[in-house]
Amino acid sequence: MEFDYLAIWNNRSLLAEGLATTLFISFVAIPLSIMFGALIALMRVSGNMFLRSFATAYVEIIRNTPFLIQIFMVFYALPFIGIRLSGLPTGVLCLAIYGAAYYSEIFRGGIESVPKGQFDACKALGLSYWFYMRRIIVPQLYKYVIPPGTNIALIMIKESSLLSMITVAELTYVAHDINGRTFSPVESFAAIALLYWLVSALFLAFADWLKSKTGREDGDELFIVR
Amino acid sequence: MDFQFLQIAAQSGPMALAALVTIYIAAVSCFLGLVIGTLLLVCVNVKLWPVPGLIRLYSSYIRGTPALVQILVFYYALPPLIGLDIGPMTAGILAISFNSGAYVAEILRGGLSRITTGQLEAASALGMRRFLIWRKIILPQVYYSVIPLLVNEFTMVIKITPLLSTITIVELTRQSQYLITSTFRPVEVLTIAALIYFVICFSVSQFGELLQRRSRKYRM
Repeated sequence: MEFDYLAIWNNRSLLAEGLATTLFISFVAIPLSIMFGALIALMRVSGNMFLRSFATAYVEIIRNTPFLIQIFMVFYALPFIGIRLSGLPTGVLCLAIYGAAYYSEIFRGGIESVPKGQFDACKALGLSYWFYMRRIIVPQLYKYVIPPGTNIALIMIKESSLLSMITVAELTYVAHDINGRTFSPVESFAAIALLYWLVSALFLAFADWLKSKTGREDGDELFIVR
Repeated sequence: MDFQFLQIAAQSGPMALAALVTIYIAAVSCFLGLVIGTLLLVCVNVKLWPVPGLIRLYSSYIRGTPALVQILVFYYALPPLIGLDIGPMTAGILAISFNSGAYVAEILRGGLSRITTGQLEAASALGMRRFLIWRKIILPQVYYSVIPLLVNEFTMVIKITPLLSTITIVELTRQSQYLITSTFRPVEVLTIAALIYFVICFSVSQFGELLQRRSRKYRM
């Protein structure tokens, strides 16, 4: 069979825009989800019964329902309570909420790996909660948190492809668009697969660099999430 | 606003059936994924010249592209390429299986690293052939040690199946979209769908955690 390379070449600006949208969504959603995730993790290890059960319920619900259902829920349900957002903000919000659940699990695992005696020592020294968290506990977490954390970030970049279902014009949406106009399914979907692959490869290179900075080579061999 | 959960729940019979379709797809894909993962594991370790490189490429492709794109490639791009018109169901199940296979191979690799080399040396000293060593000594131990992770893999696969709704397979998500268009009650329908997914995934993942706790207890 013959390939219609022109279908891709003529639409290169569309593809570039789609790629830019995908990257934009990820770069906004990932920091947001790290912040939410840290908050949820603090709630999960706190002594307050109410906060703890709220955080547990949040994490379990997000982790045990498909991301697509969550997107539809936010996209269709928010207008019913009078909040009208277009696709892009909804998508970023959903992605941030989704990633926060996974980040909070990582942070909680890190916090729980710190020996309990350190918390007792801090309290015995009369340090305030925010002070000892910021200056003593959190600095120890980097080496635990960064390998799985970059993994989750990569998953979020990939999951952003689902936002094409709620009319966010990112890479997958662009491929549907090109396929619809030029009827070149092989070329358009292969093109976006290659672009996603490239982005992931670059991101993994960045993750390796980050890991080498924190000086821990043995990674997250068994930490496999999607 | 008023919710009509009872009225919608009364109409959600097709959704229960569609949930069975979801479970069926996940079970078949998980089984095929296990087969693919095992093949990948064995081929990587058998070190025949181009094979390990190709498998690394495959694994990097699966981990580097979104599952949605893989499914679209399988459904839209593969039939024109190989000239064989596979239906959406076959394409979807194959796409998920190949996706799952790469991750299962990673899981099995973790299990393989726990097997001491002494066993393999003993087996080859006893004159066992390589195939027999894999079948009788390595694989049973690998499978046994990663059962909890494989159970979790099943929930991962369940969470990918909604993507098949984009290639016209009527599973739980697409069925709920039908119900939304006929009743125009998205909140209720999606809540019920989310609840069904939650019940499936949560029970399976709790079972996985139970197995993990138990295996940890016995290993110590």
